[in-house]
Amino acid sequence: MSLHTALVKIEEQKISSEKAKRFIYSDKNGAESIFVGRVRNENDGKKVTGVTYDAHDQAVIKSFQSICNDAKNKFDKNAKIFLEHAKGYVPVGEISILIAVGAGHRDEAFKICRYILEEVKHQSPIWKKEHYTGGKEEWLPGHSLRPQEKIK
Amino acid sequence: MVDIDFMEIQLKLYGSSKLLSDKETLLIELPENSNIEQLRNSLSKIISNKYSKSNLGNLPKSAAFFSKNNEVINDNYKLKE
Repeated sequence: MSLHTALVKIEEQKISSEKAKRFIYSDKNGAESIFVGRVRNENDGKKVTGVTYDAHDQAVIKSFQSICNDAKNKFDKNAKIFLEHAKGYVPVGEISILIAVGAGHRDEAFKICRYILEEVKHQSPIWKKEHYTGGKEEWLPGHSLRPQEKIK
Repeated sequence: MVDIDFMEIQLKLYGSSKLLSDKETLLIELPENSNIEQLRNSLSKIISNKYSKSNLGNLPKSAAFFSKNNEVINDNYKLKE
C-alpha cells in the first residue's frame, strides 16, 4: 500500500507524525519530506485560540486520493504518501494537516509535498472557522470551489 | 393563467452557509425543474431578506454545490425533489 489519506476527528484522535513516518518508510526510497501545518495564535492582527474545520467528508477523501494519485503520476509513481487533515475544533499549536512523502530522490519528495499542500487548499471542500480571544468567531472565505470563470 | 408546481429542496450546509440555519440543513422551495442557477438566485433573496447585516452577501455566487455522488455540479444541473 503506497497511499494513506484520512480526515481525523481531533476530539477522538490525534494526527501523528510517527505514524506518518512509519507509513512512508521504504528502503527503496532515498528521501522523505514531511510537512506539518499547525493552528497559529494570530491571523490578520487577531488573537486566535483555535480553528474549527468543517468538511464534506466523502468529497474530501475523493479529492485527497485524486490529488495524491496526480502527484504520483506527475513526479514519482513509486512514492509513498501519507495525508491527514483535521476535522472539528483544533486548539492553537495542534496539527491541522500532515503530509509525508517517501520518494526515490529529494527533488520528487519536496515537489510532491508542496503539490499536495497547494492542491488540497484549492480543491478539497474544507472550511475554517477561527475562534478569537473574547469569544468571537468567524468563518474564513477560503477558496471558492465553484469554477472561477462562472463567478461574476 | 399558468399553474406552477413547487418542490422542496433540502440543502446540507457546510462552512459559513451554516449561518443560514441552526440545523445542519436548509429547506428551500423552488419551482419544479429548477436548476442550480435558480437555487443561487433563491439563496440571494433569502440572504438579502433575512441576513442583510451578515457577511454572506457573496455566498450565493461563490458557493459550490455537490450532487449525491459527491461531485461539484454546474449551474445547469436540474434539481429533483
